[in-house]
Amino acid sequence: MGVRDEQKQATREKVLEAARDLFNETGYEETTIRAIAERAGVSVGSVFTTFASKAEVLSHVMDKRLGDLYAEFDRVVPFLRGSTADRLCSIFAIHYEFETRRVKLFLAHIAASYSPSQDPGVTPYGRNEPLTEMLRDVLLGGVERGDVRPDLDPQLAIDVLKAAYAWNYRLAACRQATAAELSAMMDKQILFIAQGWRVT
Amino acid sequence: MSFVSLNIESPTETPVKLTRRALAKQRTRERVLSAARRLFTERGYEGATIRDIAQAAGMSTGAVFASFSDKSELFDEILTADYEVIYAQMKQASLAAATVEEGVIGMFAVAYGFHVEQLPLLQASIAVSWTRSESAERRNRSHLKHIFNLLNGVLTRGVERGELKGEADVKLLAEIIWDVYVANYRRAIFDAWSVEALLSRLSDQLKVILAGARA
Repeated sequence: MGVRDEQKQATREKVLEAARDLFNETGYEETTIRAIAERAGVSVGSVFTTFASKAEVLSHVMDKRLGDLYAEFDRVVPFLRGSTADRLCSIFAIHYEFETRRVKLFLAHIAASYSPSQDPGVTPYGRNEPLTEMLRDVLLGGVERGDVRPDLDPQLAIDVLKAAYAWNYRLAACRQATAAELSAMMDKQILFIAQGWRVT
Repeated sequence: MSFVSLNIESPTETPVKLTRRALAKQRTRERVLSAARRLFTERGYEGATIRDIAQAAGMSTGAVFASFSDKSELFDEILTADYEVIYAQMKQASLAAATVEEGVIGMFAVAYGFHVEQLPLLQASIAVSWTRSESAERRNRSHLKHIFNLLNGVLTRGVERGELKGEADVKLLAEIIWDVYVANYRRAIFDAWSVEALLSRLSDQLKVILAGARA
């Protein structure tokens, strides 16, 4: 990597870190590119040469966070034990634990995915392939272990689980629910749905 | 589909005689609302300022503030009018249904049919619901409560008919169905799914959700 590239990379890191903190502390809409540049200690111009828009900054902040989260999962998944429902409860509990650390940032990310103008450089919330794959593996594993009906369409179950997971964040948005409360809600939903794929 | 609020259509028993002043005020409100609907649709909630809306309505910012206390009130008024249009139809669909599936699909067919026609406005309303103030959210939730009552009714009648287990947790079931219904809008937003495609998916998802609750 040349000196120029290194500098560019360093600017990028500083900007993403500053943006992550500002979005979470003061809110996404309220944070200007200028405030991000100031906090990062770089020029406004250099933010714009790295990212096309604030939406793109948010998208990259979240990509980086998800990278960290899924690195954590790579370590955890082989140790998951118990029924399929138990494993799913653990996976979602880890997600809630992680996202509620910076909940305002996460809510801004969900809200931004509904923005009527989507930037081409943006990966909106909900296009989270690693989560989908992880859920699919656990469900198909359940068929092998014998506690999930083989005729269950995993994609439909994934739709339902992801919808419940995402919309439980409403409790965080409207009454600052903790990770433990969100997980407890999700556990109830998972156990309910699991009744339907039980092998009888 | 008509976007006119049901309140306007329903005949009042004693016609209110509007003074010229009141009539002018009414017209101003309507002009503001129609300009606001257009701008929220084009630019989203954050992207449309009161100043833009006033300009589009051909009036001063002050004149807008004479009718509405802030942007969120203006936005809520638009959503309430829409909600009133679909609520009556959803109610009818939920009451006419012979099975749980028919009731749920019937209700949400109304909602998908209405919102898919004006996705940008729906997107703006969902986006705002994630970040807006608690008081604004509370106003919104009263609409939701009525829709949940319809959904609970469909499920409770399913229990009474012996279609669902007596001990089925109707409230939890209603929440899961609602989450899936709302989450499916992403397919319309990002993948341009039609109303028919959304309903067919919802019907498949519903089978997975109801499987454990069936008697």
